Amino acid sequence: MARTGWGPLGFAAAMAFIGALGSTSALAQTYKCPKVGGDFVFGQEANVNSLDQMTSTTISTRNVAMNIFEALMARDESNNPITDLAESYTESPDGLIYTFKLRQGVKFHNGKAMTSADVVASWDRYKRVAAERQILDNVEKWEAPDASTFVVTMKKRQPTFIEFISSFSQPIVIIPAELKDDAPQQLRTIGTGPFQLVEFLPGSHVRLKRYDGYTPNTKFTERTGFGGYKQACFNTVTFRIVTEPGARVAGLRTGELHGVEDIPFTSVADLKKDNRITILPLENWWVHIASANASQVPTDNAKFRQAVMALLDNEEIMEASTDGNYKLNVGFQYPHQASYTDAGKEFYNQKSPAKAKALLAESGYKGEPVFLLTNKDYPSMYNASLVMSQQMQSIGIKAELKVVDWPTAVQMAAAPSPSPGWNFFFTGYGTQPALGALATMNFFMGTNPNYKPKPGQEDTVLAAEWENMNLKVDPKERQAAFVAMQKRIFEQAYVFPFGSLTKVQGVRANVVGYKPFRIPRFSNVSFQ
Amino acid sequence: MWGVALRSILGSLPVLLIVSLITFGLMRLIPGDPAAAIAGMSATADQLALIRKDLGLDEPFVVQLVKWYGGLLQGNLGRSILMGQDVLQVTLIRLPVTIALAMYALVLTLLLGMVSGIVAALRQNTLVDQLAMVFSMIGISVPNFFLGLLMILLFAVHLGWLPTGGYIPLWQDPIGWLRTSTMPALSLALLQMGLLARITRSTMLEVLRQDYIRTARAKGLPRRVVVVKHALTNALIPITTVVGIIISLSISGAVVTESLFSIPGMGQLLTQAVLNRDYPMVQGGLLLTTTFLVLVNILVDIAYAILDPRVRYERS
Repeated sequence: MARTGWGPLGFAAAMAFIGALGSTSALAQTYKCPKVGGDFVFGQEANVNSLDQMTSTTISTRNVAMNIFEALMARDESNNPITDLAESYTESPDGLIYTFKLRQGVKFHNGKAMTSADVVASWDRYKRVAAERQILDNVEKWEAPDASTFVVTMKKRQPTFIEFISSFSQPIVIIPAELKDDAPQQLRTIGTGPFQLVEFLPGSHVRLKRYDGYTPNTKFTERTGFGGYKQACFNTVTFRIVTEPGARVAGLRTGELHGVEDIPFTSVADLKKDNRITILPLENWWVHIASANASQVPTDNAKFRQAVMALLDNEEIMEASTDGNYKLNVGFQYPHQASYTDAGKEFYNQKSPAKAKALLAESGYKGEPVFLLTNKDYPSMYNASLVMSQQMQSIGIKAELKVVDWPTAVQMAAAPSPSPGWNFFFTGYGTQPALGALATMNFFMGTNPNYKPKPGQEDTVLAAEWENMNLKVDPKERQAAFVAMQKRIFEQAYVFPFGSLTKVQGVRANVVGYKPFRIPRFSNVSFQ
Repeated sequence: MWGVALRSILGSLPVLLIVSLITFGLMRLIPGDPAAAIAGMSATADQLALIRKDLGLDEPFVVQLVKWYGGLLQGNLGRSILMGQDVLQVTLIRLPVTIALAMYALVLTLLLGMVSGIVAALRQNTLVDQLAMVFSMIGISVPNFFLGLLMILLFAVHLGWLPTGGYIPLWQDPIGWLRTSTMPALSLALLQMGLLARITRSTMLEVLRQDYIRTARAKGLPRRVVVVKHALTNALIPITTVVGIIISLSISGAVVTESLFSIPGMGQLLTQAVLNRDYPMVQGGLLLTTTFLVLVNILVDIAYAILDPRVRYERS
């Protein structure tokens, strides 16, 4: 019997979800805009270079493009996979064939009806140009037996396939077939979403308007995550690029901007007193992290890494990094997520200089310099490295900051092992933890894992558990593998997650329905 | 004068060649490659190699250089790695925005800087002179970034006279352009204004002490004629030099001002391009910006020839 898959939690959970959804659909009222009209102006912190959602992995592109484009699958508010342009899908008993039925009546912004030929063309382009095209490596072929059916045949069973193709990191958005040969970063901006592009002036603004021909997904009654029942209430939405935090705050105060992202922590208290403004904390924006370099002395020594792990006072680090806007968080998932685990908590935030000194002595540390690779482009990373270096110096470790700009830091850290010139690299896991355990653990696998093992010395325990995470059919077994991976990473002190950072957004008080999410969503939002 | 212009143009060609070579070389010397900037931390070594190959960055330095110059000869500055757009096309959209802003700042600088310099010179050692010099010192000392923030707080948040940022093109809505460009232009101009006021003052003081000025006064010429016709005309030569520098400073100062006021000009574009190692955008954008600045310097040379006959004679 073929089964319907709804996510990594498996068949039972998926069916329960469908059941719950069905009953919700029957009882709840479909969303209706309280008011239609107006131009919403959003102050965005980073430049949008391209709206090609298939090739860009940047948050700034996603902020805009995910209001324009849609994919077969999306994620709901709790990050579970849900159908979006697909009406439904089934998985064959052997897990090798996925059959997607498309929603009927969906039109592109150019007025053309969407068919499975467009889906085939979109997947073709994704396979050709997307940076994350390896998610289709295990796919044998995809085809369109009829106008409303799309069939994917796998090379071998991959229980996590739906999780991958519902990812919003670089989603396989559906575009009209005639755009399939558009060059990378040059995709013409025609999607099926509730908003369509009016004007894009890089460095200045992007303006969208309501797409009157939009067909909402009636399987839902409300927006959820990137999917659900979406309605554009505003006539237009303008994303204005305001890179300077002070200018974003000023714009929100004057009402020129109706919403902004990334309010500086120092302005939050002041803005809270202003009754014209609603402050919206976006918790768990990213996991603040330093990853160790296991290919360089002395961090090639597990005892040395464990000594540093035993030493760290994560509260002190996070406080300095975020001005108090953080939560201590064990590991790589957040407590509200289904896959959250606190495995390895005994190694987290130990604050034990005595234990650290003992481990340091065991490691045979000879006073070699330890380079903390950091940058000032992201002040929170720099502050974390500064505090960590001082904590390390307090027990006699010769910690030195190596401050470069962000692209240089990324290039140095991404160099294949042995990756020279650094011992700890300061970064943040942003999108991946939100996508789930699989996306985060991906950092530790492949040909260039984050912890930079010496060639031929990759951690075999991690590799085995990674296989289990990907190939076990039972979701419980996959979760168990994740638990084991996280614990192993803590034990071996491959990376040092300090805590989760809270990002602050704000809207004018007359804005209704705006709910912080990883990406600002402008459907089902209106003015009072 | 045409000889002056021709010699300036010919003299500028090596400048452009050297600038393009330095830019090309420096971008490849500094660490941080575009593939890593595009793909981020989660990219595997294979993915990075694939991106480098797609961008042609796996080719030897000389091959890349020859290809770039080959493109230049055909008017092709390449395609931005980040935006996927033609560098020339993007620059032609952005450069006029910065030039318009720089020109507005220049007008404000000339008006306020020269007037305050002249007034200070004519009222030397009076309260007016001291006030003018104090303001010019403030203009020189306070960073334009900080000044811009203060102006946003005063004119946008508290008084509500001007918008906090954004940009409306001049040809689309001149009033809107004035509203969006006044604070950025003023924050750019204040530094230059201080500089110009001080130079105008000292040059005017020097000229006013010359014998021919004393003679003009002794002849009973009205003060206005002495100042404008005899003193200012001669003081204009060093001031013209400063104007060329002011335009260059305004273009480079736009990097900060454009970011602060969300203006889509060259400053913002090149900052992003450098930070993201967008080689073609930096190379092409800088070459075109340099070309503009070279043209400004040629115009300054021509202005010398017009203002000072000795320059015409010497160079001919």
